[in-house]
Amino acid sequence: MNYDVVVGLEIHLELNTKTKMFSGAPYKFKSEANTCINEVDIALPGTLPCLNKEAVKKAISLCLALNMNIDQLIRFDRKNYYYSDLPKGFQITQQFHPIGSHGHLDIYVENEYKTIRINRVHMEEDTAKQFHLKDVSLIDYNRAGVPLLEIVSEPDLSSGKEASAYIEKLRQTFTYLGISLARMEDGEMRCDVNISLKPKGSDVFGTKVEIKNINSISNVKDAIDYEIKRQSELLDKGEKIIQETRRFDEASMTTISMRLKEGAVDYKYFPEPNIFPIRIPDSMIEEVRANMPELPDQKSKRYLHDYNLSEYDANVLLANKYLANYFDEAMKIAKNPKLLCNLLTSELIGLLTKNNSSIEDCKIAPKDLASLSNLLEDNIISSKQGKMVLEEMYNTLKDPESIVKEKNMVQVSNEDELLNIINEVLDENPKSIEDFKNGKDRAIGFMIGQIMKKTKGQANPKLANDLLTKKLMER
Amino acid sequence: MKLENTSTAIKAYEKLAEVNSKLNCLVTSVKPAKEGIPIVLKDNVSTAGILTTASCRILENYIPVYNAHIVDKLNENGFACIGKASMDELAMGGTNLTAVTGPCKNPYDLNRISGGSSGGSAVLVASGVVPVSIGSDTGDSIRKPASFNGIVGVKPTYGRISRYGIIPYASSLDHVGYFTTCVKDAAKMLEVLAGRDDRDMTSSYKEVLPYSSLLNSDMNGKKILVFKNVTDAISNKEVINEFNCIVNSLKEKGAIIKEVYFDETLMKAILPTYYIIANAEATTNHSNLDGISFGRRVDGDSVDEIMMKSRTEGFGPWIKKRFVVGSYALFEENQDRIFRKAQKIRRMIVDEVMKELKDADALMAPAAPGKAPLINESSSDELTDEYLIADNHMAIGNFGGLPSMTLPMGYVDNMPIGVNITCNRFKEEDMFNIALAIENITGLADKTKEVF
Repeated sequence: MNYDVVVGLEIHLELNTKTKMFSGAPYKFKSEANTCINEVDIALPGTLPCLNKEAVKKAISLCLALNMNIDQLIRFDRKNYYYSDLPKGFQITQQFHPIGSHGHLDIYVENEYKTIRINRVHMEEDTAKQFHLKDVSLIDYNRAGVPLLEIVSEPDLSSGKEASAYIEKLRQTFTYLGISLARMEDGEMRCDVNISLKPKGSDVFGTKVEIKNINSISNVKDAIDYEIKRQSELLDKGEKIIQETRRFDEASMTTISMRLKEGAVDYKYFPEPNIFPIRIPDSMIEEVRANMPELPDQKSKRYLHDYNLSEYDANVLLANKYLANYFDEAMKIAKNPKLLCNLLTSELIGLLTKNNSSIEDCKIAPKDLASLSNLLEDNIISSKQGKMVLEEMYNTLKDPESIVKEKNMVQVSNEDELLNIINEVLDENPKSIEDFKNGKDRAIGFMIGQIMKKTKGQANPKLANDLLTKKLMER
Repeated sequence: MKLENTSTAIKAYEKLAEVNSKLNCLVTSVKPAKEGIPIVLKDNVSTAGILTTASCRILENYIPVYNAHIVDKLNENGFACIGKASMDELAMGGTNLTAVTGPCKNPYDLNRISGGSSGGSAVLVASGVVPVSIGSDTGDSIRKPASFNGIVGVKPTYGRISRYGIIPYASSLDHVGYFTTCVKDAAKMLEVLAGRDDRDMTSSYKEVLPYSSLLNSDMNGKKILVFKNVTDAISNKEVINEFNCIVNSLKEKGAIIKEVYFDETLMKAILPTYYIIANAEATTNHSNLDGISFGRRVDGDSVDEIMMKSRTEGFGPWIKKRFVVGSYALFEENQDRIFRKAQKIRRMIVDEVMKELKDADALMAPAAPGKAPLINESSSDELTDEYLIADNHMAIGNFGGLPSMTLPMGYVDNMPIGVNITCNRFKEEDMFNIALAIENITGLADKTKEVF
């Protein structure tokens, strides 16, 4: 039987604010355990929450990027439950009035655009980290109170591919906005999947299964693909889907049952009494809007329409904010976008990868790469020379013009000069002229080689080729 | 004893042991490192390096690593803390009988209660050990013991004094306040304690006035409301006589007196409304007391078991009862019917009072229906008008965040009784002025009952 797959995602995102959501304690990822805490984070008696304004601004920027309605009256609620990773015994969250609602995000899957609706974005705080060893449990409170945004999609996704495209697009949005590094492997971004199947075309939703805490985008895709297979096999056999929480097991590439959903927990949500409702002024939203960087969608349009890059090239650039920004910076000088894109995404990235470096740490200035690209565009140097120059730039940090000058690398593009050399070569190789007349194209290659030899490889290959062919015809 | 008699902290500290042996009013005595104006803090005020138990077993070993905002303010202003005072467990009570250290006694009669929950703080001022002490007030926990001990008790406007570092009871009702022996000291203390604190988002940016220099007992044209529901509900004639004497004197001094009778059903709803909101907030506020990262831990085989055992052993039975009531009110299926309804009624009660108070300067009533009860007295019938209204009306000040204070009114059987005035938000100046006029009428400034 054929099924419609219904997938919704809940993403938790740690914000990269200097201090925590409700306390002044500084937070730095991977700090020594229990060094990024103050009395608020471990919920010592008498402490009170104090809202982090930067976190609110970052939430607003995401709401703007996701085209959401913004509730300008910020309100918080308590979610009450006892757990040893939750120092206060409650989490401060936005249950009743999320800051963002009714948003959407466009994803691009299999050559098509699809709009995914986003139900809500709300602000809350992270819990402590627990380590259960053989005899003891350890708690690291550094993460307790770190600002979190929860982004809840509508059940608009219908495959693992779509889900991974959606997360990737969100991740790009987060990094472009500069609100989080959004590294799933480090838990800065976490994903819970809700998935159900229903007979094709049916209006009735099937039983929902939740898959928790998947730690990479590819695992999200694999977990969903597996779950589709598992559920459709059960349904085919006439069996019922059990409402439960499962986890993805990377080793076996399957999902494994964690617990059944027996009557939801009563979190006794009620408005947080220590934070009065706060009215965000229009001016604050406008300030955030004015400071928003160009987002992937806008960049993509520019690359495709203004620069005529291919969808593939555009996506390679967009996948990494630093790469795209480097490209944009270099394009202020570079003449040929496609040439620059190739130089950047294959030559420079190749060189960086070879040296265990990355574009974030690249010492070659975008303007210098742009100059190199222009030297190539103007046929001042050959592509082979271009590679050498790039390598020299990397090692010495000199600008390409100086290197070309120093190494005497300028391409011979002067017609008269080239014609002299071509005539010399032709005179020295009557056999090759004969071969050419007999239809042996290889002869051209040989003679170009001779030209290159005489010019120490500095002849403009295209010009040399054109002139040689012309002269051969004349003989 | 008055604030002016400064720098006697060490002398005051030396009296503590003897006073405590009679009144059982201390949790911890603190030897002052240097001289200063002696002060006592209720044991729910966080003091870095000094035991802070809130008179609760689960905190019997808890030593804060930080000072409450007001502790820093007091230190900056030349005060020296000499002790942490007994209170009802976690400030949940009005008798001070529930402290883990046992009942605190009234200096006027050791067989009678101090009242609570700030009982220890009250009796240390009433017995003349210190000129001022810090308390907290969620329903009437400063203003009731002030009445029973013949001193001044002040609960200013919500947000006027930072709550940062005060172990909470119910966040939306909790106020920090204090006891003094006279109105002038009360006005001075607010200058010391009030002001914005960025760590308490509910604290106010409003300017702190020089209340003590603004004091003015001129009552000409002052509009004072007499709270008829309360006076009608009080059966003790002597209390009513004392009260009427003050009202008449105020009238003679030019005050315009108006008797007001609020909706009786709403007034009878004060206590149940208070009980629901306070306990609901309390049960979640105290969810941090689980024996995990601080406090008294009882070992167990799992983290869950540690938390359950620590909480089971760590709280008195009355606290558990309040947690159960609070949780019940917050259950999703009950919230509309109980918790949210209580919040609506809270608003209705405040609106009912404000519609009169906004055109007046103060609402005035006896602070309690009578003198302090005996420690062994069985609790009164909780469904009489006298109990529901006369014994609990001061929670209106907490519902509305209104400034409210109690000061001595007179004596019944040689036991002090107090009068309460409640004013409009941030109108502490009015409150102190009317209180000063009353103090001039009664002549009951600086009355203490020494027990040493």
